[in-house]
Amino acid sequence: MTGILPSTGEPCRVLVLDDEPLILLDLEFAVEDAGCKPLTALDLVEALAIVQNNAISAAILDVSLGQGQTCEQVARTLAGMGIPYVLHTGDLDRMDEAVRSLGGTLVPKPTPAAVVVARALEPLAIRLD
Amino acid sequence: MNRNFPNSVPETGLNDQAHTAFDTTAARARAEHPEDTFAGASGVLFEQAMAQTRMAICLCDPHQSDVPIVFANKAFRQLTGYDDHEIVGRNCRFLQGPRSDRGTLDRIRKAIAEEDVLVVEVMNYRKDGTAFWNALHLGPIYDADGKLVYILGSQWDVSDVRAARADERHARDLARELSHRMKNMFAVIGGIVNFTGRVRGIETEAREINERIQALGRAYETTLDDSHRGTVEVGQAIRAVLAPYDPDGTRIRFEGNGLRSDFASVSVLGLSLHELAVNALKHGALSSNDGHISVAWRRNGAADGPAICIDWTEHGSLPGAPAMGSGSDGIVDRMLNMARGGIVREWDSDGLKAKLNIPLRDHAE
Repeated sequence: MTGILPSTGEPCRVLVLDDEPLILLDLEFAVEDAGCKPLTALDLVEALAIVQNNAISAAILDVSLGQGQTCEQVARTLAGMGIPYVLHTGDLDRMDEAVRSLGGTLVPKPTPAAVVVARALEPLAIRLD
Repeated sequence: MNRNFPNSVPETGLNDQAHTAFDTTAARARAEHPEDTFAGASGVLFEQAMAQTRMAICLCDPHQSDVPIVFANKAFRQLTGYDDHEIVGRNCRFLQGPRSDRGTLDRIRKAIAEEDVLVVEVMNYRKDGTAFWNALHLGPIYDADGKLVYILGSQWDVSDVRAARADERHARDLARELSHRMKNMFAVIGGIVNFTGRVRGIETEAREINERIQALGRAYETTLDDSHRGTVEVGQAIRAVLAPYDPDGTRIRFEGNGLRSDFASVSVLGLSLHELAVNALKHGALSSNDGHISVAWRRNGAADGPAICIDWTEHGSLPGAPAMGSGSDGIVDRMLNMARGGIVREWDSDGLKAKLNIPLRDHAE
């Protein structure tokens, strides 16, 4: 599978950001099932800390994080680092143009967690093959 | 407004009623600017139009200091609540108030100074202090020599239009928020079912439950646009339910009109079609490389017992064991029977042909 980094032989680290803990839990399991190591964040601060302190291979980002916050800052940081991510959202229409223009893969909510994770890992498969 | 009208009006055979409606302020403006007098019938018609139109109109003199109003028609007085003597001689800004947008007022000033045409909506105030949204159209009026003589302003109260627009926007925002929350809720429910199945070691069962819940979610999703109608467009729900089984949009063909039904029927229909699609994926047309399915829906003609009829026709299924496709637990049959409908299945060499029907409830057209 795509879950192991060829360089170190360790599982890929995948950032999962969602303000809904129950969705986060489901995605965490799905990332584990794909042979990767999930790093979960409930808000922007947690997500940015994870990005700074860990070598992330891919990310799953909930777009709207409540209280008018979006994942834009995290997406922008990841894009700057060349790390692939999917935007997981229940509202493709309302999604901020700024977030959309960053170029992440869009995955509409609800999509089965295993599928969300598979979409997130797709760019790695291409890169590692 | 039974004011006398000067005798200088050309005789055009107009009746008295029309004459009494003439606006003396128009006559006064003309008397003060005799060089602008319209000649003959067209002048009379112009004055009648000014007096009788419901469009509020005023003329301002750009050559006097502070560009005062020199003429306002009856509609202007009615709209603003001011009398003629309170209007003429004053700059238009007496209509402004605390909620008039500064930026808009700047644009108005600029347009007047630069002899531009401008159409804006601005908050104005009547004499009694009530506010109204004014669709203001202003522009320069030149004489025959191209010399600027007036600034014309026309005013139309668009408060109702603005309110209707705001209502519509509000309803749209609400529907979108509702849709967003519902998708989130279905995502959360899916998460709960999934991780419960995982920790219990019943992933397969959990997945089956989840797929049904998500199919229901897709069927309902389409209802939000129509939340005020109480009915759902059947075709939209069918397409939404089946979309994940045909990601490229090439395997399932849809045929139907804008038939509508109530929410309850649509949930049963949605789940039934979901089960048929899952079976087609395992054993039927969607399990072969070039198989496809046509889904046709229509209203059954019987006037005393109208029903939604759906023809599910699979083409290009792989040969062998067609009866596998019936769904082992009979859940489709049970759901449709419970809704007082039913399903009839036949198989030929091309695959499954199923006919589903479900009663169309009253008031759903």
